[in-house]
Amino acid sequence: MDIGKSGSKAPSTALSKSRLRREIARHRSVYLLALIPLIYYIIFKYVPIWNAQIAFKDFMARRGVLGSEWIGLENFRTFINSFYFWSLIRNTVMYSVGKILISLPLSIILAICVYECTRPALRKVVQTLAYLPHFLSWVIMYGILLALLAPGDGVVNDLIKLFGGQPLDFLSNVKTFPWVVLFSDAWKEMGWSAIIFIAALMGIDVSLFEAAMVEGANSWQRVRYITIPAILPVIVTVLILKLGTILDAGFNQIFMLYSPQVYSVGDIIDTWVYRQGLLEFEFGLATAVGLFKGVFGMVLVLLANWLSRKLTESSLF
Amino acid sequence: MRKLRNILMITIAVLMVMPAFAGGSSEKASAAAGTPDDPVTIDLWFGAAVTEAGMIPDDWVGYDIIREKLGIDLNLTMLPSNESDQDVRIQAAGAADSLPDLFMVRRPVLTNLVEQGLVAEVSDCFEKMPVRTAQQYDANSIAHTTIDGEVFGFASPGAIAKNEGLLIRKDWLDNLGLEVPTTIDELLEVARAFTFNDPDGNGRNDTYGYGAFVETDATLKGYPGSRLWPIMGAYGVEGLWSFDSETAGLSIYKPEFYDFMVTLKTMCDEGIIDPNWLSYKKDDFRAAWKQGRFGIMYEQNAAYAATANYAPFDANFPDGEWIVIDAVSGPEGHAAIGAYDMNYRIYAVSQNAADAGKLDKICELLEWMSSDEGYYLCGWGQEGVNYVLDENGIPVAGDLGDNAFTGPKGQVYTQLRNMVFYNGDVELASRYPTYVTEVSGKTMSALTTLREMQAKKWTSAIGSGTMPTPNADVQRYYDQSLAEFLTGARALTPENWQAFLDQFNAIGGAAWNAEGLEKMEADGLIR
Repeated sequence: MDIGKSGSKAPSTALSKSRLRREIARHRSVYLLALIPLIYYIIFKYVPIWNAQIAFKDFMARRGVLGSEWIGLENFRTFINSFYFWSLIRNTVMYSVGKILISLPLSIILAICVYECTRPALRKVVQTLAYLPHFLSWVIMYGILLALLAPGDGVVNDLIKLFGGQPLDFLSNVKTFPWVVLFSDAWKEMGWSAIIFIAALMGIDVSLFEAAMVEGANSWQRVRYITIPAILPVIVTVLILKLGTILDAGFNQIFMLYSPQVYSVGDIIDTWVYRQGLLEFEFGLATAVGLFKGVFGMVLVLLANWLSRKLTESSLF
Repeated sequence: MRKLRNILMITIAVLMVMPAFAGGSSEKASAAAGTPDDPVTIDLWFGAAVTEAGMIPDDWVGYDIIREKLGIDLNLTMLPSNESDQDVRIQAAGAADSLPDLFMVRRPVLTNLVEQGLVAEVSDCFEKMPVRTAQQYDANSIAHTTIDGEVFGFASPGAIAKNEGLLIRKDWLDNLGLEVPTTIDELLEVARAFTFNDPDGNGRNDTYGYGAFVETDATLKGYPGSRLWPIMGAYGVEGLWSFDSETAGLSIYKPEFYDFMVTLKTMCDEGIIDPNWLSYKKDDFRAAWKQGRFGIMYEQNAAYAATANYAPFDANFPDGEWIVIDAVSGPEGHAAIGAYDMNYRIYAVSQNAADAGKLDKICELLEWMSSDEGYYLCGWGQEGVNYVLDENGIPVAGDLGDNAFTGPKGQVYTQLRNMVFYNGDVELASRYPTYVTEVSGKTMSALTTLREMQAKKWTSAIGSGTMPTPNADVQRYYDQSLAEFLTGARALTPENWQAFLDQFNAIGGAAWNAEGLEKMEADGLIR
């Protein structure tokens, strides 16, 4: 029996290998295309893993990665014992989660609006305008935000004063700064993030909508019962992927916008690493924090993926 | 198919073993002879003089001269203009043990690199560069790059000391019938009048008394920064460190610092300081004074009076006039425009370059730069092409148009000028010519303004640049706490101030201060 089993397995494996080869040969151009991102990932994502060992070393550049002295978890202790550790974690998670809660629904709503729009010209204009901010750097965005929000002559404060209110220094006030971060990010990235949802919407079978209309479903009911369920797997995928980078709250944005008066709500892990790790030549410490973030993100992704599979029967892997 | 798989396997294998070579090959290239036919290659990362103008073109005659006369093949790379970006670039190269042969670096970063053994000791080099040493490297300069008794770089004179000043809109004073303020109380009164009495007479409530932005660094300009120095000077707390024998240490510990904070908070609460000051970056601030938003400011001489910088203000306010005024005195009689240190630009040699035997060639290069030929070529370009000499022997643009050293095409040939300039008379006369403004016809000179500013009362903080810097947490606590007091997030009371100092000491402020005092005593900086 056993022999029979193993005897039947060998031809089956050989067959599947042969089939795989044929498949690869048939789609070789696609595989070649895949080679480019594969090489990218190997060079920029996997190769650096080797250097991640400096997280456990007192890294001395002249001695190199291998020659530097092992110091165990000292770099991790330095980070965790930082006076602002919990503040950094809180701020980072606050911005990451906040961006998911605000940007993700807005992106989905925009995608649905664009999809439902029946005027092609209007759709193109809206799409272009929504994508545009993504291509602006945060340096430019800072200039725009200053023009809008400056307490002296910002447009928003002019409006506040017009209605008899007191001007607010949005960028220097600890109560308003987080909202500026969250909504400016939503403004900048909403259009770009909507692309994946628009693509998902394009894949919905049109006959479903036609049938629903025949049954008398209105626009809202079509969105609720057809559109959203249809793109739910994509939403779950995006959400899971975002959880993997939950400790990346957007260094470029925060670095441009924050200042000492809002450090208490603006300083995130990455800005701390920039000041303490890079500017102070503590590359071991910077790497330790990077590793900490990566492992934490991976655990969250695995957890979210498992939960998603259990609850929605939809998961990433 | 098998071939494809093999190629894939080999590619992946090669990529996977790449980390072993990530630090670069340790094998030394065979030494070049250092002749025109077999030149020594020297990689130089320099701080550009005109950052927005672009790189020195490949057709620069300097490359050929340096190769022919010195046997050096010079590779130039411009560092980013922003100091933090410069630091990151240098430190990243240091971390990869791939620093260039010769590179510009700031003192705090140099200290880090020296600790890592990445920088060559150069005390033997000065005697190999007699002209340059006489011109640029005095005892103070050498002390600036001395770490634990050894010299790790060449510190050339940087920005001119005391080149900033307290300026006030004289036309606004005249419009309101006010005198130039001489005390802090008078300054606040003028600021109130500038804010509430429509000094420009346009019928709109669109002006403020004082304008500033937060300009800090880790060694001289502690929070809230140098743009507030004239006000801090009235309380004797200008400068991050006090080098006075009675109050040596961090200025924050002086009781007068609290008084200064109260004054500044009052200015914020009354709205007589431009409320945008906490949000402004340098360019926003400069755009604001050119648009007539405020009437009192602390500004640099050339940023105020150089031709291109003054032109927008001149066009907007042909009748407008700024004047440089004396430091205002405070309740105890203190007065200072600000604190000054000697400014240096440090060029360091990597240990790898020294190991490769390039140190002598680097000395030859620097010495040539300070020769007449190198000085004028790097400073102004080619005579007759990029500059002509006037009757006093001062390089001027003449009618050379775009190719002149001041023109868009010519200025790229002067990108190395900060490596040869030492703030000599020729440089200043050439850099800051007297001119007549286009719209109002005023006669202006950034050099005259500079001399006016230098003549005011300043506090010496020489040695600040070598003082220790705190870790990120202490620095954040310091900056954040002061900012919170000013914005009202924390009430500015004596009790809260003491609580702030106690916590500051507890998280490392006291240790930072003690380290600084030790440094001051070791270097004889206390006066």
